[in-house]
Amino acid sequence: MSIRDLMMMAGRNLWKRKLRTFLTVLGVVIGTTSIVVMISIGIGMNEGFKKQIEEWGSLQVIDVYASGSGGGYVMMAPASSSSSKSKKDVPLDNAAIEKFKAIEHVEAVSPILQSSMILVSGKYVNYANVIGIDPAAMEALGYKVEEGRVLNGEDKDGLVIGRGVIESMYNPKMSWQMQAQATPPEIDAMNDKIMLTYDWNYGTKGQDKSIKPIKVNVVGVMPNNGSNSYSVIMPMQQMQKIMKDMEAWQKKQGSTSETKKKGQYNQVSVKVDDINEVQNVQQQIKDMGFQASSLTDQLESMKETTKMLRMVLGAIGAISLIVAAIGITNTMVMAIYERTREIGVMKVIGASLRDIKLLFLTEAAFIGFAGGIAGSLISFVMSKVVNVIAMQQGSDMTSLIPIWLYLSAIGFATVIGILSGYLPAKRAMKLSALAAIKTE
Amino acid sequence: MGKNIIRIKNVKKLYRMGTEVITAVNGISLNVQQGEVCCLFGKSGSGKSTLLNLMAGLEKPTKGEIIIHNKHIERMNENQLAAFRQQYIGFVFQSYNLLPTLTALENVTLPLIFRGVSVKERTERAKEMLKAVGLEGRTHHKPGEMSGGQQQRVSIARAFINNPQVVFADEPTGNLDTKTTYEMMDLITGLASKYKQTLVIVTHDWELSEYADRIVVMMDGKIEKIEKIEQKKMLQNVQQSGGDVE
Repeated sequence: MSIRDLMMMAGRNLWKRKLRTFLTVLGVVIGTTSIVVMISIGIGMNEGFKKQIEEWGSLQVIDVYASGSGGGYVMMAPASSSSSKSKKDVPLDNAAIEKFKAIEHVEAVSPILQSSMILVSGKYVNYANVIGIDPAAMEALGYKVEEGRVLNGEDKDGLVIGRGVIESMYNPKMSWQMQAQATPPEIDAMNDKIMLTYDWNYGTKGQDKSIKPIKVNVVGVMPNNGSNSYSVIMPMQQMQKIMKDMEAWQKKQGSTSETKKKGQYNQVSVKVDDINEVQNVQQQIKDMGFQASSLTDQLESMKETTKMLRMVLGAIGAISLIVAAIGITNTMVMAIYERTREIGVMKVIGASLRDIKLLFLTEAAFIGFAGGIAGSLISFVMSKVVNVIAMQQGSDMTSLIPIWLYLSAIGFATVIGILSGYLPAKRAMKLSALAAIKTE
Repeated sequence: MGKNIIRIKNVKKLYRMGTEVITAVNGISLNVQQGEVCCLFGKSGSGKSTLLNLMAGLEKPTKGEIIIHNKHIERMNENQLAAFRQQYIGFVFQSYNLLPTLTALENVTLPLIFRGVSVKERTERAKEMLKAVGLEGRTHHKPGEMSGGQQQRVSIARAFINNPQVVFADEPTGNLDTKTTYEMMDLITGLASKYKQTLVIVTHDWELSEYADRIVVMMDGKIEKIEKIEQKKMLQNVQQSGGDVE
């Protein structure tokens, strides 16, 4: 019996018992819808986390520290376990950077040098977290500007400022009460004269006149959200020059800040080209004897904490689909009782056992398939409704249905149909051909 | 007449009804020749229907051999039987047994569907067959939209579409009025003789036996007597030779 004929006969049989078929399909529709909507909420949750974390920085960037030195900004990353194993310090230097570059899926590597400095514009000042990076890697590392441009490989003294630094500039000569009442200064970072100094007392009575603020050339402004709005990014070379001056001055003052061996960095950022490879690359770096962390650590731990909730949501959907499966089995068993004679006739006129089995499996598969299609359509609508309600309540837990979820829902419902139909089909197959002869 | 297409050797069929054992067929031996119209006649409970079921492979004999077309029916499994029926057997039921969801045409093509014959070929053959049973205008009617006689015509078309060696008919006219009964018997025997097909008819209606070449009268699971109808044969021969002369 060809597939076409099977489908034709199965379709006719289901159509003949429209109401019963409809009710059985309805069960599958409810099961499919609940499982899809529940999973979509789980997916929406994860996407929400991802969006949230991406505001803090790129998910594809790994921060590497020399083993033994403290980590940078780590919010809730679990303590790296591998650092305890390799007590021997591996230098985080240019050789290490070359090694990172050689790892598969690594797109860009940049050393990171950080220091707190004062940004000056006219009579206004502000603290800024100054970061020196390899300017060629700035774009790859995920820095975004809303005005101007990011640094590139040709920049020697360009500067990219976070909007937050500029907007919160203040006059150090005022008392803080006056500062609170003062109107915020209007500074055009791109065109006004901006200077940078490592003298934290600049503009106050304690200012060291021997330190000359450096005039800088602002080429871009970063938006006022995320972790970089209070940062200033500059090329590594320029940063190192300023740091050298700063350390010389600090030495003169008698205070020694951290002693760093020559040619070594505190931190290196590694950009990975594929988000799914981040954990893998991170592990490889750890295996070299460095400490490494990335925002994917946070994402993973957030996903982990909501895993239970997502599993419960999925289970609710699964239960309704199981109920639907029982419904299909019930319908098919009933159909076999009704069609005992018909099955017998088919056997007498030459249907093989396989034909009989396939016919009933096809009918069950149809029920599952139809339920899967209708369930997907309804899920689409439900997902929209959930999103609207969530938005009204200000919740960011929204429902998201990717195409693969629709496709696998339809596929899954069909498979459920076939599985539910298996037992009845087996039963139909075993019915005696003799039933056809018996007169009522 | 040709070779024996059906050979039954000492067949027994016992049923267990609770503690009681009923002997439905008690050691029957019978040969049916190719092209023969054989009538199994008897009252209800005589074992004629059981014998038919055994021949068609719907039931397995407790003892004995049933050989159709040199093949042992009693040794076949379900799948072998299905293949065998597709190729050699046609069946006409008392209560027509058409599939209610299919049209007349589709019902007739059903045996070919199971054989995997292409749509074009089977539709062509089914149309021819429906024409042969006089139902050209009703190809797309469902069984529910047809009279008993019409349904039985569809059923007959279905039984003959495979061009089977043997056609079994179980009380084929049991649900029909007298006039239709004769029409139906003319039809079945006409089709069978056209292709030299063997016909085994079960009936309790003596009137029908006049269509048979041989009447097997059964009683209590045994063959009581076998009557040959030579007259009819002779009559047919005269008619045929007469036709030749014309």
